Amino acid sequence: MMMSRIDWIGALAALCGLIAAPLLLGSTYIIGILTVALCFGMWAASWDFMSGLTGRENFGHSLFIGAGAYTAGFLNVNFGIVPWWSLVAAPIVAVMFSLVIGFPTLRLKGPYFALAMLSAATMMQSITVIFSTYTGGQDGLNGLDPILYSQLDYYYLVLGFLVASVCLLKVIANSSWGTLLRAIRGDEASCQAAGINVTFYKIASLMISAAVAGLGGALYAHYQLQVGPDLFTVILSINIIIMVYVGGMGSIYGPVGGAILLSVLTEALRGLSEYRLWVYTLVLIFILFFMPNGLIAPLWRRLRSITS
Amino acid sequence: MVQILVYGAVISAIYAMLAVGFTLIFGVARILNLAHGSFYALGAYTVYALTTNANVPLWLAAILTVLLVAAFGVGVERVLVRPLRRSMLAVLLITLAVSLMVEQVLLLTFGSEARNVPSLVSGTYHFAGVDIGAQRVLALVGGVVILVGLWLFMQHTRLGSAILAISQDAEAAQYMGIPSDRIYSIVMGLSAGIAAAAGILVAPFQSVIPSMGLLPLVKAFAIVVVGGLGSIPGSIVGALLLGYSETIIAFKVSIEWSQIVSVAAVLLTLILRPAGFFGKRAAF
Repeated sequence: MMMSRIDWIGALAALCGLIAAPLLLGSTYIIGILTVALCFGMWAASWDFMSGLTGRENFGHSLFIGAGAYTAGFLNVNFGIVPWWSLVAAPIVAVMFSLVIGFPTLRLKGPYFALAMLSAATMMQSITVIFSTYTGGQDGLNGLDPILYSQLDYYYLVLGFLVASVCLLKVIANSSWGTLLRAIRGDEASCQAAGINVTFYKIASLMISAAVAGLGGALYAHYQLQVGPDLFTVILSINIIIMVYVGGMGSIYGPVGGAILLSVLTEALRGLSEYRLWVYTLVLIFILFFMPNGLIAPLWRRLRSITS
Repeated sequence: MVQILVYGAVISAIYAMLAVGFTLIFGVARILNLAHGSFYALGAYTVYALTTNANVPLWLAAILTVLLVAAFGVGVERVLVRPLRRSMLAVLLITLAVSLMVEQVLLLTFGSEARNVPSLVSGTYHFAGVDIGAQRVLALVGGVVILVGLWLFMQHTRLGSAILAISQDAEAAQYMGIPSDRIYSIVMGLSAGIAAAAGILVAPFQSVIPSMGLLPLVKAFAIVVVGGLGSIPGSIVGALLLGYSETIIAFKVSIEWSQIVSVAAVLLTLILRPAGFFGKRAAF
């Protein structure tokens, strides 16, 4: 799957659009929304890298996001460490979490991984409330330092990290590694019979996925300047899965598009307030029944086949 | 000591009711039902709505609730799950969507504050120097009765045998003329009904809030992993293990720490014996 010219043009156009958007739209409110959208883009891309490629659905991606964000919060608020360091520490902590969950569950067939991730994220949510002396309980940790004081600069920093991580994930996905991961999704038993250490590849891809998600969590924490137990909720994981579904699973760029599209749409639907989750679940059901391949990636493929 | 014994038994009975339904629908239809916790929450809320808003007598409300939630379970299986059954991920997502939907509906109709559900029985029993609320005793007795009833139903009726046959080999059972699709619906209704009964029994001494279904789902999953996915005796043993270890930790250490037991149990089981106590080797 080499990138053809149309792919390069599309990627460049998307990048230019993202660079220009805050300059054209201007207001800090919109820049804030876009920054959050980019964080979701990182989360969706990292979810897709593990689950979209290997077909092992992760129902608790918020575990890694929360771990990254809380790492940032701890270092900055409790120990007063310069916020740049949390961008290093958050991925490391998230990877440690991925090892704890991935090692026992990814060896197994069946739905164990999905459910273990779901319960681990739920449990972390209650653990943050239990150890409220360190984690601030329901209120979370407040008063994180911003990494960059200008909101526009911070937007470009997050954009830089998003582009870097999408490129990295895409390069790995297009390499022989990615082929192996897709082969695992296709037929795990045959891969094993061919002498491939299936478990190693699954755990390694989960680690990479967790690192990107944790980094995104830290960036998000330093944008919100606050971390709370809601970062571990199932709803957050589900939102990410919906974004991936809308974007088209297994394509990495599609989920980023889906994430940005849905985050902006969610803001547009703010007037619906408490019915928003309804809209979300209805979108999910609609997609499951009528567009099992998603929206963005299939559209792009069609466009590509027309032009070439 | 007696307190731990009795409270542990009550919790175990509730957990067993939840886990049995969860493992049944998986063992028979291979459906991992993430909406299982919402059946439990619906049970508690429906009995609340029937008694306080519609003034239905409590015992009648309880029966009606079980039937209504069972019908809801059948509906979910027919309309939403059945068309997507080929894909495990789609089933997981659709049942998760159902559970989010139910939580939202409950939040929008009843608000986020906890509701009080009246007890079926009142008063306390004095037993070996400890006071135990009659409702807790009822929950224990009710749980045991329902589980024994389920066992008798599975072992001694034609329908029960059909369910067991499907769970052993769905294809062969179908060749023998057992209508598998109908059985899946029935099992879904059965498991939803049992979960609703659990919700009704615990509602008077648990906080009834819209998100009350999530934690029981996690617990049911933990129990089912410990006992072996798809095994009914396994889920009862798992419920006893988890119920008692949680109670012991809640009494000896703190309530908060007891919440961690289930995740620790899941991880330990998956590392040491992935198939669970009574599971087949399918997990490897």
